[in-house]
Amino acid sequence: MNANVETKKMAGRVKVKSNPLFTSTLRTVKYTVLGKEINEGILFKAFLYTIFIATSYIYLNPILKMLVNMVMTTKDLVDPTITWIPSKLYFGHLETAWEMLDYSKSFLISMTVALCAAVFHCISTGLAGYALARLNFPFKKVVFGLLLLAFIIPPQVIVLPTIVAFRSLGLDNSIFTLIIPSMFGFGVKGALFVIIFRQFFLTQPKELEEAAKIDGATAITFYLKVMLPLAKPAILVVFLFSFVWTWNDTYLPQMFLADSKNLPLASELLQMDRVITSYVESQKITSFEGGAIKMAASFLAILPPLLIFMFFQRHFVEGVERTGLVE
Amino acid sequence: MERKRWLNAKLASNLEGCLFIAPWLLGFIIFLAFPLGFSLFMSFHKVRVIPEGMEYTFNGISYYREILFNSSAFYEQLIPYFQEVVIMVPIILIFSLLIAILLNQNLRGRFLFRAIFFLPVIFTTGYLLTEFVNQGEGSLGFLERFSIGAYLDTFLGNSSWAQPVKTLLNRFVLILWYSGVQILIFLAGRQTISPSAYESARIDGASPWEVFWKITLPAMTPFIFLNLIYTVVDMFTFPFNPIIKLVGTGNYGYSSALAWIYFLIIVIFLLVVLLLFMRLNRGQRISKG
Repeated sequence: MNANVETKKMAGRVKVKSNPLFTSTLRTVKYTVLGKEINEGILFKAFLYTIFIATSYIYLNPILKMLVNMVMTTKDLVDPTITWIPSKLYFGHLETAWEMLDYSKSFLISMTVALCAAVFHCISTGLAGYALARLNFPFKKVVFGLLLLAFIIPPQVIVLPTIVAFRSLGLDNSIFTLIIPSMFGFGVKGALFVIIFRQFFLTQPKELEEAAKIDGATAITFYLKVMLPLAKPAILVVFLFSFVWTWNDTYLPQMFLADSKNLPLASELLQMDRVITSYVESQKITSFEGGAIKMAASFLAILPPLLIFMFFQRHFVEGVERTGLVE
Repeated sequence: MERKRWLNAKLASNLEGCLFIAPWLLGFIIFLAFPLGFSLFMSFHKVRVIPEGMEYTFNGISYYREILFNSSAFYEQLIPYFQEVVIMVPIILIFSLLIAILLNQNLRGRFLFRAIFFLPVIFTTGYLLTEFVNQGEGSLGFLERFSIGAYLDTFLGNSSWAQPVKTLLNRFVLILWYSGVQILIFLAGRQTISPSAYESARIDGASPWEVFWKITLPAMTPFIFLNLIYTVVDMFTFPFNPIIKLVGTGNYGYSSALAWIYFLIIVIFLLVVLLLFMRLNRGQRISKG
């Protein structure tokens, strides 16, 4: 940079006299603005940052608005001059939302369901993925075809018979309906997790198994002792995806827990939404307050996965890049 | 003797494989094959819930006929939704490809941007997004600002595409919100292209524009296909998907028939895309050779 400025200065002085120096300055300027390659110049960087900042704004705007709205007092909400900075912090909406959501209970339910599903998914889809990637068994290609089928089948096609089956087993309206499928590698996007594990194990060197075979290790000890420790990035990715998606899923709880009093957080939020809308319609509260309470509730519901994600963010993105998710 | 031992070894390894895949296969039978068959069965029957259980009377294809020939659910809700999907999928794919390629540049603050672009994966949940749309955060605001609606009316006229396009513009932000995982997949895919391909292209004097079309895009084709399938699958539980409300426990037979029609349309759509991709790939190979 310094050298640049100096050449520019020098060029400014001798510009009139010598032509070659002038052109060289021009070139330096051109290089700094446009770059030797298109992706090195200032112009291109400016373009990149513009796009990134614009898109970040699109992504962050609703979240920021959510955060701001929920701590505003009713007076601030109505005041049209206040959009971003509340005159004082007010936590009443958060308290209302906490009570309406029955937060401690629904949080516990959501945590149990999402944690169990994530752990079971890691175990069951890991086994299936490893078998599909590395082991021999009859009709392997057919099974892989079934896996793809499982991936593209809309949940709507199979949800009704599953409800009937759970009812005849006496499991209807129990949170086990959300956990049991994950033990077998199904549940929220289970097929995708098998595919992720399969792709990951395919990228591991073949020599590992040959060495184990000579040592006389069985497939199970080999899998537990060698493959699982290697698969940490894949496990992290599957665990986080499974946790977040199960946590946020409202479709399956809505179908399986239709008459239940013990709902996970996301479904509780959906119900609360209806209650607040009816309050607003019957003019018990203003629509501004209703909106603020909804925002506070959404924040409470999204907070746990957000914290977990922030904690694992860097490992997570690297993990996805290393899973060979996309062979 | 040799042969027998070899056979035994093969049998043992097959057995191990079966052991590993068995839980998943069991799950497949319980949670997929059985419900799939059962819902097909129900779609041909009138189902009544009676105290002792369920009662089925054969109904033939009349539910299918009813849906396809005289139901508002199919023509007023499902078809427009498919039109929306057909527009949405390319937008999501192009947007996420663009962002992924740009994120791959060596840039200060790359990690911060990555984290931001990854937020949608956590936030992309039905209730939160519907909330944003209800609060008016869904549109970019340009529809009203530049009265694009009026232009659209004159441009698309009364064709059946006018309404889907308008609804989509109203939730445009939502579409961008739905590209989190896709960006990630493209990012991972971009890492698989070796830097030497780019170096040699540069030495040959290819312009960045050419490099994109001749190297980046062909190498990304499989990931585009993967993302396409993922996006279509992801749309199953898109909060504005009418099928979510339409398939309920009110009428098992009718709902099952509807779900099957929905599934068949998806399969046909995916098959068409698959054929197109195979065509494209073959075309590329011929032009290379």
